[in-house]
Amino acid sequence: MQSSLEKTSFQRSIAKAAPYLLLLPALAGILVFKIYPIFSAVITSFIRKGAFSLRTYEILFKDKTFWNSLMVTLRMNVVMIPLQIVVSLILALLVNSEVKGVGVFRSIYYLPVTMAIAVASVTWALMMNVNNGVFNSVLSIFGIPKQGFFTDAGQALWSIVIMATWKGCGYWMMYLLAGLKGVDVSLYESAKLDGAGFFTTLFKITLPLISRAMLFVVVANTSANFLLFAPTKLITEGGPQNSTNVLMYEVYKSAFKNGNMSRAGAITAVLLGLIIILVVLQFLMMNRKDVDA
Amino acid sequence: MTPNAKRTLGHIVLYIVFILIAVIALFPILYVFLASFRTDEEIFKYAFPFTRDTILPVRWTVENYITIFRDFGFGMAVMNTSFVVLVLIPVNLLVASLAGYAFAFYNFRGKNALFAVFMISFMVPIDSVALPLYTMITKMGLVNTRWALILPSISNGLAMFLFTQFFRGIPVSLLEAARIDGANLREVFFRIVVPLSVPIFITAGLMIFVNEWNNYLWPLLVTRSPEMRTIQVSLAYFKDENETFWSLVYAAASISTIVPVLLFLPLQKYFVQGITAGGVKG
Repeated sequence: MQSSLEKTSFQRSIAKAAPYLLLLPALAGILVFKIYPIFSAVITSFIRKGAFSLRTYEILFKDKTFWNSLMVTLRMNVVMIPLQIVVSLILALLVNSEVKGVGVFRSIYYLPVTMAIAVASVTWALMMNVNNGVFNSVLSIFGIPKQGFFTDAGQALWSIVIMATWKGCGYWMMYLLAGLKGVDVSLYESAKLDGAGFFTTLFKITLPLISRAMLFVVVANTSANFLLFAPTKLITEGGPQNSTNVLMYEVYKSAFKNGNMSRAGAITAVLLGLIIILVVLQFLMMNRKDVDA
Repeated sequence: MTPNAKRTLGHIVLYIVFILIAVIALFPILYVFLASFRTDEEIFKYAFPFTRDTILPVRWTVENYITIFRDFGFGMAVMNTSFVVLVLIPVNLLVASLAGYAFAFYNFRGKNALFAVFMISFMVPIDSVALPLYTMITKMGLVNTRWALILPSISNGLAMFLFTQFFRGIPVSLLEAARIDGANLREVFFRIVVPLSVPIFITAGLMIFVNEWNNYLWPLLVTRSPEMRTIQVSLAYFKDENETFWSLVYAAASISTIVPVLLFLPLQKYFVQGITAGGVKG
C-alpha cells in the first residue's frame, strides 16, 4: 500500500515534468541556434573594442552604399510581396475549384517550389541571357528587340522578382488552399442565392474566413523575401550599377569578402529590426480584421 | 445560351487557364533538363531564330553527366547533401513530433509563452541569423565539418507547428483508454499517435527534405573545402579560370531538381492532406 502510494506520487511528478522533457530538445535547438544568435547579432553591433559604442552605426548610416542597398531591398519587396500573395491567392482559388484533374494541376503548380533557389537562379540566368537566351529568342518572333534582363540596370531587379515569384507562389498557394478547404461550402451557396458577385464573395466571405492562413502567408512571405539572396549572389553579384544589391548580399560581402564583421553585424541587426517591425505591424493589422469579422 | 452550355464554356475557359499556368510552371524545369543533354556550343548556337532546335537537343548527349561526376567530384556533393538530409529528417521528425505532442496533449505552466517562441522562430528564417550563427560555429571550431551543416537545423519550428495542429485533432479519449490499459508514454506515442499521423509525418518529412536538399546560404558559408560542398554550393564551381561550363551546371541542376520532384509526385496526396488537416486553417 505504502509503496504503491509512493509510486503514484513519483509518477505524478514525472507526469508534471513530462511536457518539459518532451519539449527540451526542440527548445534547446531553437534557443541555441536561433534566439541566441539574434541577441548576439544585436549586442555585437553595439560593441567596439570591448565597450558600448554607436560608432558602427554612425559609420553605417553615413554610408551611401548601405542606403542604396536598403532602398533596393525595399523597392524589390514593395512589389514582390503583394505580387506573390495575389498570385498565390489566385492559384489557390483556381485549384480549389471542383473540376476533374485539378489535383494534377495543383501538383504541377507546386513543382517550382521543389527546385532549389540556386538552381532556379542559374536556370533563369540561362533563359534570360541577352545574346542567346530563350526569352529573347521567343520575343524575336514578335519583332521585339533583345532585352537586357539581368544585365540591364532598369530590368535586373524586376527579373529577380519574376523569377522568385515563379519559384515561390506554389508554396504559399498550398497554405491558402488549406485555408480555403476549411471554409464551409454552404456559405458560398447562400451568398450566390443572395446575388453576391465574385468579388463581394471574395472580400466579404472568403478572405475573412481564411484570415489565419493569410496571416501566416503574409508574415512568412515577408521574412523570406527580405532575406532573398541567391539570385543576387549567383546571377548579378549586386549589379548592374548596384541595382540588385540587396541588404543580405551586403551582409555577405561585408563579412566574407571584406572581413568587416561589425558592419555585417550592424546590417543584420537593421534587417532583423525591419522584419520584426513589419511582422508586428502585420499581426496588429490582420488580427484587428479578425475582430471585425 | 442554355445554362448547360454556359457551364461547359466556363469549364473550357477554366482548363485553358489551368494549362497556361501549367506551361509557365513547367517550362523552366523542362528547359534546364533538356539543356543538360546538350553541349555548351549547341545551347547557344540555335537561339536565333526561334525554332524547335532552340529548346530540344539536336544531338542528345550524356557527356555532361559523366563529366560532372568524373572530373568535378559531383558525387561527393551528392553524398554530402544526402548525408545531411538522411540525418536531419529522422532527427527533426522526432524532435518536432515530441514537442508537438507536449503542446497538443498537456497543460503546463508557460505553455503559451513557449508556443509563441516557436511561432516566432519559424516565421523568422534561419538565413536571418546566418552571420551570428557563423560566428558561433567558428568559435565552436565546427566550420567545414558536417556538424556545421546539421546542428543548426535539428529543431524545426514549422514541423513542430504542423505536428501540434495535427495532434490536436486526435481524440484525447483514445490516449486515455490506452493509459488505463497500462500503456506508458512511449507506447502511447509510438503505437497510437504515430500510426494515426502518417500524413503529417510525410508532409513534415517532405518539407524538411526540400529545405535541406535545397539549402544554399548556410552551406555556402560553412563549407570551405571541395570535399564538404553540398549540391547547391557546387553549382558555382563548374568552371575554370576563364569560363563557366553551363551545360555542366545544368546537368548538376537537373539532378538536384529531379530528386525532390520524384519524391513529391507520389507523396503529394499525403502532403495536401497533411497541410489541410494539420495546417493553418481559416
